[in-house]
Amino acid sequence: MPKGDMAGDMAGDMAGDMGGDLAPKIDLQGVGKRFVTREREVEALQPIDLAIQDHEFVALVGPSGCGKSTILNMIAGLLPPSAGVVSYDGAAIGGLNRAVGYMTQKDTLLPWRTAADNVRIALELKCRAMPWDEANERVAQMLTLVGLTGFEKHYPAELSGGMRKRVALARTLIYEPETLLMDEPFGALDAQLKLLMLDQLQDLTRQRRMTVVFVTHDLGEAITLADRVVVFSARPGRIRAIRPVALPRPRDVFRIRFTEDFAHLHESLWDELKDEVTRGTEV
Amino acid sequence: MAAALSTPLGRTLARVALALIILAAWQYLPSANVRFWMSGPIEIVARLLVWLRDGSLWENVGATLFAMALGYAIGTATGIAIGLLLGLMPRLNRVLSPYIAALYAMPKIALAPLFVIVFGIGLESKVALVAITVFFLVLNATLDGVHNVDRDLTRALALMGATRLEVIRKVLIPATLPWIFTGMRIAVRYAFTNTLLAELIASNSGIGFMIEYYSGVFDATGTYAAILVLVIMSVGLTELLTLIETRLAHRGANR
Repeated sequence: MPKGDMAGDMAGDMAGDMGGDLAPKIDLQGVGKRFVTREREVEALQPIDLAIQDHEFVALVGPSGCGKSTILNMIAGLLPPSAGVVSYDGAAIGGLNRAVGYMTQKDTLLPWRTAADNVRIALELKCRAMPWDEANERVAQMLTLVGLTGFEKHYPAELSGGMRKRVALARTLIYEPETLLMDEPFGALDAQLKLLMLDQLQDLTRQRRMTVVFVTHDLGEAITLADRVVVFSARPGRIRAIRPVALPRPRDVFRIRFTEDFAHLHESLWDELKDEVTRGTEV
Repeated sequence: MAAALSTPLGRTLARVALALIILAAWQYLPSANVRFWMSGPIEIVARLLVWLRDGSLWENVGATLFAMALGYAIGTATGIAIGLLLGLMPRLNRVLSPYIAALYAMPKIALAPLFVIVFGIGLESKVALVAITVFFLVLNATLDGVHNVDRDLTRALALMGATRLEVIRKVLIPATLPWIFTGMRIAVRYAFTNTLLAELIASNSGIGFMIEYYSGVFDATGTYAAILVLVIMSVGLTELLTLIETRLAHRGANR
């Protein structure tokens, strides 16, 4: 697979029409999901097609309950689709997809482990066991990266919601999964801290050439980070629009919001989204 | 008067005075006839001193505590092991659960006569009764714990590539420990009560045996002395448990 010529700087330009000759990393074909709750069937996601390329950063935006998290759960292999096929690296996903790192909306930190011990847990597993010193060094680096130096020995119950999110982020990034699934990772952070985290995330995912599927409510966040933004309709979710983000990389997450291109894109995406948001709240 | 009772010293003095009044009344009021059934404080203390000197006190206290500890250890170990095992095998657990529920609900003391038939009068039947009581308490606590483990935590670890064994070691067992400890804590009191009950029903040593034996020969002094020992043991056990609980709660609050 020719990876060399797909370096990050070009990804933005290529994102829109890439994949003609490349097999997608993640491929959703006619994928829909229905949930049965107390004799009532709810259609969370109407059958959709979506192909995500290797090293691509795709943001999913849409009103609450439009099935964005469901899509992540299906890519992670936690939920089987009710219709269609989800494939990863060309093979249909059955069972857990261990190639992905999944940062869920709810942080799944272990309450009896300190922040540092939580971050280290992936490095303690047999599949990537490493010397204790090396693991600890990487944990310290990771905690610095997410701005939690000094909180190594704190238990999750002693950390704020935003801090727990950052511990969860560090825990997911530390083992460098090739694909990252993130479900509103920065929802609980204040605006300044969020920008710092976006900056770190951009650096890390580009450095490590990760494929990222990023669910968010925040259009600005989506445009800042993504190669493509996928707008979903209100429940039952379906794809309303897919827009490539042709902003050059690396992007200055602190200033990009004030550029004209950003404003145009934001406006056009908001046009797509706003009807859905109002529809979503009426339901 | 009321004001004097509100200070610690006043309260202590009031308690001592109350004890002295009751003891004096117990010692001096009963007629010789009633004395046969009620004994008296001086006689009881004298009896305790005799037991201390001839060693029968420690022998019987030791027998009770040893049976209790052994039954508790066996019940706890098997309860945790089988609880974890069934927790990990939900299908088997579903098959067995009505039987477990029925045995859990049954007052285990009803099994005491059966154990006497099977194991004879002695240590074994006491240990069996305590062990089976503790076993079901700890088994249920462990099962509750396993069922209450947050599935999102186990799934998160599995997604990171953890093997089944690693998920058990790193998530399931630590998450279940507080439940197991709660079950073990409750089981201590049951273990104590049931050791005593086993001794009262049929045995040849222990504090329960002493109470049963002396009342059987119409020796009120011996019966009261043995009950006094039991009261002291109960208070000691309760204090010990409180101490351990405060220690644990303290550690819990620190994290």
